[in-house]
Amino acid sequence: MRSSETIPYPHLAWRLYSVWYRHMRVYTKNLVSNGLPPFLEPLLFLVGVGLGLSRYITESMDGMSYITFLGTGLLVTTAMFTASFECTYATFIRLEFEKVYDGMLAAPITVNNLIVGEIIWAGTKGLFFSFAVLCILTPFGIVRLPQALLAPLVGFLTGVMFASMSLLVTSFVKTINHFNFYMTGFLSPMFFFSGVVFPVSNLPKPVQLVAQIVPLTHSVRLVRAVCLSRYDPGLLANLAYILVFVAVFGALAVRRLRRRLVS
Amino acid sequence: MAVIGVDKVSKSFGRLRAVCELSFAVEAGSCFGLLGPNGAGKTTMMKMIYGTAARDANDGGTIEVFGFDPARDELSIKYLSGVVPQENNLDDELNVIQNLLVYAKFYGLPARVARERIASLLAFLELSEKVKARIRELSGGMKRRLVIARALLNNPRLLILDEPTTGLDPQVRHLIWEKLRQLRSGGTTILLTTHYMEEAFQICDRVLIMDKGRKVMEDHPQRLLEQNIERYVLEIPQEHAAKAIDGRRLPEAVRVDHAQGISRFYCDDLDRLKVVTDMLNGQAYYLRQANLEDVFLKATGRGLNEKQ
Repeated sequence: MRSSETIPYPHLAWRLYSVWYRHMRVYTKNLVSNGLPPFLEPLLFLVGVGLGLSRYITESMDGMSYITFLGTGLLVTTAMFTASFECTYATFIRLEFEKVYDGMLAAPITVNNLIVGEIIWAGTKGLFFSFAVLCILTPFGIVRLPQALLAPLVGFLTGVMFASMSLLVTSFVKTINHFNFYMTGFLSPMFFFSGVVFPVSNLPKPVQLVAQIVPLTHSVRLVRAVCLSRYDPGLLANLAYILVFVAVFGALAVRRLRRRLVS
Repeated sequence: MAVIGVDKVSKSFGRLRAVCELSFAVEAGSCFGLLGPNGAGKTTMMKMIYGTAARDANDGGTIEVFGFDPARDELSIKYLSGVVPQENNLDDELNVIQNLLVYAKFYGLPARVARERIASLLAFLELSEKVKARIRELSGGMKRRLVIARALLNNPRLLILDEPTTGLDPQVRHLIWEKLRQLRSGGTTILLTTHYMEEAFQICDRVLIMDKGRKVMEDHPQRLLEQNIERYVLEIPQEHAAKAIDGRRLPEAVRVDHAQGISRFYCDDLDRLKVVTDMLNGQAYYLRQANLEDVFLKATGRGLNEKQ
C-alpha cells in the first residue's frame, strides 16, 4: 500500500480560513439586510434611550457621563449578542436542518477545524458589530479616536468568548426552542447586571459576586479601559479570565459537538 | 490493487450493532455497490470509510483507504476522495458557482484553477447554463448533479456516493449512470450505496448485499443473478393464482412464494412457467426475467424490518 505517500492537503491555518471563508461568503451575500442593522441598532438605542434618558441622569457613572458609560458598554454587548445568535440558532440550523456540516466534513477538514473556524467567524462578527457601534459613537463625540479603535478587538474577544459558550449550549440542545432559556435566562440578565446600563458597585454584595463571575463584566471593563485610555494592572486579570474562559469552553464545545457530528 | 480494504469492521450505537464484522475490498478503477434495505448499515459503513463515523475500536477491525486509516488520517483520505452525501446540502444563499468556489477553498485550489475546474465540471454534468442560478431555482436532478460536481472538484481518485439517484426521474438517473461510467473509464474508483437494483446492475462491477449490518452475499451482479435465482419469474395476483392452481400439480422445478398479495413462480425453464399461465383462463399475469431485485428480496426477506 501507499501509506508512505504524503498527501498535500491544506495546512491548519488554511483549513480554518476555508471554514471562515464559507461563513463570510454566506453572510455577505445579503449585505444590506445583514450589514445595515448593526449600524442602525446602536443609533436607535443612543437616540431613543441615551439622549432621552440621560437628561434625567446627571450623576456621572464611574467617572464618565452616562452616555459614554452606556455607549462603551454597547460596544461589547452587541458583540455578545451577535456571536451568541450565530453559535446557537444559526449553528443549530446548519447542524440539524440544512445539514451544512455534513457537506463540509466530506472535504478535507476535521471536526475540530470546523468548530474552531466557527468560533473565529463568530469573533469576526463580534469585531464587525463593535466596529459598527464605534462608527455611531464617534461622530457624537461619545468616544475618542484613535484610542477607541482598539474597541473592536475587544469585540472580537467577546465574540470568541460567547461563541465558545454558546456552542457548548448548542451541543446540549435537542430542539431549537430550548435556546429561549439561554437567551432570556442568561444573556438578557447579563446585559443588566454586568455594568453596562449601570455600575455594579452599588448592587448588593451577592449580586456583585455574580457579576464578577459572568463573562460580560470582563469585556465591559476592557472596552471602557481602551476607550478612555484608563489602564491599570487589574485589566490583566480580565484579559486572563477571557482567555481561560475561551480555552475551557472551546475545548468542551469541541468535545461535545464532535460526538454530535461524528457518529 | 485495492483502494479500499475493510476487514471485520463493526459499528455499534449503544446496544445496536449497525455494522457487524463486515469485510470487503474495492479494486482500483472499479465500481463497487453496497446494497441493502434502509437501516442495513450502508451509510454508516460509508461514513466510516471517510472518517465521519468511528468504527468500534480494539475489536481487530481495520479499514484502509489508499493505505491510510480513516481513524488516524482522515484528511489524506478526504483529500483524495469526493463524497456525495445522501442529502443535497448545498448553500441556498449562494448561487451555483459560489457554492463550488466556497467548496474549492477547502482543497486549497487557487482561484484561477478552481474557476477552470468548475467550468469543465459544469459542462461535464450539463449544468453550464445554470452557472449563476440560485439553488432554489434548480430541479432535484440539477441539485444532485451539482453535488456530484462539488465532489469532483479535487479530481478525486475515489468517488463515494450515498444513494446518488434516489428520487430522481429516469432521464436524470440514466445521465448520472452514464457520467459515473465515464469517470470509471477515466480511472476513478467508485463506491456507492443504492437500493435500486437496476442501478447496481447498470454500473457496478461488484455488489455486496447487506442486511442488518452483515454481508449476505457479494459478487459480480450477473453472477449473483445466475447463482442465486431462477432465470424467469411469473407474477400473478394471489387470489387468481389460488383459484387457478387450486389442487393442481405444478410442473417440476417451479418454486413458488406468496407475499403481499402476489404469487411468484420461479423457474429456469420458460416453457414450464407457460404451463402455469395456461391454467389461468385468461387472467392477467406478468412473465419476466428474474432481476437483482428478486435476489435481493430472496436474500433479505420480503417483510419489513423495524427500521424501514
